[in-house]
Amino acid sequence: MSADRYSRQSFLGPDAEELIARYTVAVPGLGGGGSHIVQQFAHIGFQNYVLYDGDAVEESNLNRLIGAKQADAMAETPKLHLAKMMIYDLQPHAKIRGFACNWQEHPEPMRECQIVIGCVDSYKGREELEIACRRYLMHYIDIGMDVHGTDRPVIGGQIIQSSPGGLCMRCMGFLTDEKLAQEAARYGKAGARPQVVWPNGVLASTAVGMAVDLVTGWTRKCRSHAYLVYDGNEGTVSESITLRNLKTPCRHFSTADVGDPILVEL
Amino acid sequence: MKLLIKLTGALHAEMLHDLTRKHPFAAERVGFVTARIGTLADEGRLILLTGYHSIPDSEYVNDPSVGARIGSDAITWAMQAAYHGRPRREGIFHVHIHGHRGETGMSGVDSREIPPMIPGFQGVGRYAAHGIIILSLNHGSTWVWLPGQQEPVQADSMAVIGAPVQVFNHGRKK
Repeated sequence: MSADRYSRQSFLGPDAEELIARYTVAVPGLGGGGSHIVQQFAHIGFQNYVLYDGDAVEESNLNRLIGAKQADAMAETPKLHLAKMMIYDLQPHAKIRGFACNWQEHPEPMRECQIVIGCVDSYKGREELEIACRRYLMHYIDIGMDVHGTDRPVIGGQIIQSSPGGLCMRCMGFLTDEKLAQEAARYGKAGARPQVVWPNGVLASTAVGMAVDLVTGWTRKCRSHAYLVYDGNEGTVSESITLRNLKTPCRHFSTADVGDPILVEL
Repeated sequence: MKLLIKLTGALHAEMLHDLTRKHPFAAERVGFVTARIGTLADEGRLILLTGYHSIPDSEYVNDPSVGARIGSDAITWAMQAAYHGRPRREGIFHVHIHGHRGETGMSGVDSREIPPMIPGFQGVGRYAAHGIIILSLNHGSTWVWLPGQQEPVQADSMAVIGAPVQVFNHGRKK
């Protein structure tokens, strides 16, 4: 390995390369957002991955799925395979545990991670990931985008950091019973929402930046939580107004409620 | 079998702060940590630390032959915590700090004095994991007695999930 490889990111700290290589990251969902994430993680130098996605490349993915080619849609290449190849091309010695399924079918490998970046479509999926991250002590970073309206479309999105001991997505006003109920009324389907490559890139890049900061601490911000809102029409990322005056500890998760759930006989 | 330890950054900071305080006569401080078990792939185990109990100054015994000796009130607290933790399978870990940097291990006194406490914890909390944690200024080592086991297993790593994250690998395994 050339000493020059990471010379342009030396500002991250003298031990950054070793720290980045030591930690394990999980990416459930390897579509429009997740494909950006794994590509950037591999460039930065992450070596340990737990990946989940059971889907194969389709024609409709080619507008945004990083690494996908026309031939992949024709061959129905698994998205997991694309992600692995993207990582191995940059990091031949990476340790990748990949699962062509939802993370809930093989949750145990994810529990070893320090950071999970969730790239799932539904509120329910986000809620379940956050619960797992609190129970097994992992930083959870969520990204998602949506396009609202048709006459004057508005692109919106979010990047959220929910960490053990910090404010959760309910505290921050992102997850609500109303949103979950509306989604449940649609039988849990997020639907075929509009998705384009550039907002995914902004959201994924911001999330990767958060993850690198958690690993290296280079900004010295020591964030316990974050909720950034993306306005795709204005091209801005700013802190959510819901965080203003929000200083109370998390009311939804206790740091004592960790580990395997125990069934108590009454 | 993979054996990992995790704790929050706040809990790690609380332990470091308490254990590095000067004691009126003891050369070092001791504490107890509660912990629960999680399952990993391939029968691995994850030990998740949940809370720290600081031992009051008055519960130390003045014994210059060791760095710190705690009295019966402190041991009673730990035994009661192991008992009350049974419904949650919450175990007890003895913790202290060695004031240097890098990976640390048990001293001769540690090996002689601390492990004999563990069977007592196991007696009242048989389905929980119990053990010993020795921190250094920038590392941490853990020996775990898993449920039903008479011998400890040294954890592969300790991960402090704070900002920034810290991972202390045993033997600097990557």
